[in-house]
Amino acid sequence: MGDKETEGGATREEIVQRVELMESMIAEGRRFTMRCGWIFVLWGVVDLAAMSWRYYQPNSLWVGEWAWPICLAAGVVLTFLGRALQGRQQGCSKGLRWRSVEAVWGMMGITLAIYITGAMVRHLTWQYSYIAALLIIIGMAHGISAVILRWRVQGVVAAIWWGGGIAAFCVRSNGGVERIMFLEMVFGMILFGLYAVVLERMGRGRANENV
Amino acid sequence: MRWFWSGWAAGEPMKTSDQLPELDPVIHGKLRLALLSLLLAANEADFTWLRKKTGASDGNVSVQMVKLEEAGYVAMEKRFVGRKPQTLYRITPRGRKALAKYVDALRILLGKAL
Repeated sequence: MGDKETEGGATREEIVQRVELMESMIAEGRRFTMRCGWIFVLWGVVDLAAMSWRYYQPNSLWVGEWAWPICLAAGVVLTFLGRALQGRQQGCSKGLRWRSVEAVWGMMGITLAIYITGAMVRHLTWQYSYIAALLIIIGMAHGISAVILRWRVQGVVAAIWWGGGIAAFCVRSNGGVERIMFLEMVFGMILFGLYAVVLERMGRGRANENV
Repeated sequence: MRWFWSGWAAGEPMKTSDQLPELDPVIHGKLRLALLSLLLAANEADFTWLRKKTGASDGNVSVQMVKLEEAGYVAMEKRFVGRKPQTLYRITPRGRKALAKYVDALRILLGKAL
């Protein structure tokens, strides 16, 4: 782009040029905005990995005590790494909405870390109410995020998590809880994350819309 | 006379049905249009990124941003990230409105030219 600015009468070529310039710059700007769909996919995969580990390796030395902590720690590390890479590539662009959503999910992460650690230390993770509370807290984060972003799809996802929480209170077997968890991970995390990724690639990510 | 008063009251340039719309001279500048378009999509961006994306010089970006700021189309915020100073620009609602109006004008002009 030249250093000298010209203003004045607009020819057809000039107008077309301006339109093309706007289109390319808007596309650049969209590429720059923050993307978060991949985080849902990552956490869905991490949680499914932990569940599979427990399910397929019931006699492994690591089962029970370490499958979840190791997978969750890996999830945290990968999330931070991904965000750091994203930040380096994209510079900084955080609207009020994005910052609000980030705060909700950040605080939810800390809440769950405290909750899960406490339950593990006290060996209470076998309780159905522990799973139910876990699902309801995640549903709450989705719900708040849906209100901030005015995003009905995420509202539906929040309802799926809350529904899972209620179902976890009602089941009477470990198999039932595992099925609920599996469905939540697939529908509430992976599929929702993929949907968000597709929207973001189309330049329609909700967190980047303006306040 | 009604067209005159309605246009005048809204602070818009006078125009009759035969007249072509006027392009906002603040936005029409190539670099300013590029900067405003980038901010429209990104909402908020720092000076270095804007300079990199437009490929313009420090001085030119700075001068054009001042013009946009004076027109009330962008807002500037200076802050520190760690120990590094950072100049952050944000498109204002007025800037958004002006750009939308500019696009409408382009559309009309393009329609007339075709």
